[in-house]
Amino acid sequence: MLSTVDKSIFVIVPCFNEVYIIRRTVELLLQNYSVIVVDDASTDDTKQKLVGLEVHYIKHFANLGQGAAIQTGIEFALKKRAEYIVTFDADGQHDKADIEKMLEVLKKDNAGIVFGSRFLPGSTTNMPATRRIVLKIARFINYLASGMLLSDANNGLRVMTRKTAEKIVITENRSSHNAQVQNLVKLNNLKYTECPVNISYSEYSRKKGVKNINSIRILYDLILYKLFR
Amino acid sequence: MVPIQIVLISAVVFICFYMYLRLRSNLLDAALIFLFCAGAIFFILFPNTTTEIAQWLGVKRGINLVFYVTIFFLFFLILKLYARIRRLEKKFTDMVREKSLDKAEDLSKENHDTYGGAV
Repeated sequence: MLSTVDKSIFVIVPCFNEVYIIRRTVELLLQNYSVIVVDDASTDDTKQKLVGLEVHYIKHFANLGQGAAIQTGIEFALKKRAEYIVTFDADGQHDKADIEKMLEVLKKDNAGIVFGSRFLPGSTTNMPATRRIVLKIARFINYLASGMLLSDANNGLRVMTRKTAEKIVITENRSSHNAQVQNLVKLNNLKYTECPVNISYSEYSRKKGVKNINSIRILYDLILYKLFR
Repeated sequence: MVPIQIVLISAVVFICFYMYLRLRSNLLDAALIFLFCAGAIFFILFPNTTTEIAQWLGVKRGINLVFYVTIFFLFFLILKLYARIRRLEKKFTDMVREKSLDKAEDLSKENHDTYGGAV
């Protein structure tokens, strides 16, 4: 695939103790895009791992959660006059090539935001079966909470325009931020679309990422979000 | 008067006095505390009135009514507290974010200069 270099595209990588994989993830992204690493108060040497890279490094002095880290990244990217903003997980499960594909979809459909999906035809993933079931259930719960039925409600890979990013202000610090983003897209009548993406579940990302049991915690956060919005 | 009434009344008076000392700035608060205190003492001295009110409402015993009311009151308190925690968390988040944005770094620079306040 033809890869363009465009530094007005900012990739936000929220991370928490990702010392083993962060440099590789960031190095790949830096070939084409500007990268903002938002370190959510990691206790490991994440920063040392990144020294020498042309990366914007922001560190929370206390752990707030992934939603808060993404919001910090968005605010910084907007200050840096980003044209497009991408959210990308640090644990290496996303495929960099998908960003370009999603940007094309965004422009072609004239949409404000593109959500990555593991369930659309064209996406490849080696997802464990139990994970698949949990995500299918999560999809409907998210629909109830946000009013938007996406094929994959909890995918960390998203591409949005500057205008969209200005309207999406995440106040859900923890895992319910996915539903909040969808909710805000709906409330602001923003045009959205989905794009199949590749996810690789490595031993590492399986260990680090959201575990099935955490879904209960996400559900709890979601209920509280609906109650106290 | 039976001993438990004396114990309960002293407890209520003590708590109300303590609350008044903590929150005395506000006249409305003081009035509410006084009302609560007077109400509590009244029901301690005349426990059968709760049964009368309960039966008027269709509940068998006064103690059951007190139980129902207390559950709803506590639930309301939890919601209020939770809303307060959310507000505090928001303030804290804003603080952490502001500070971290001020200290954003470009790690390619040799001595990792911070951008300073304005970016």
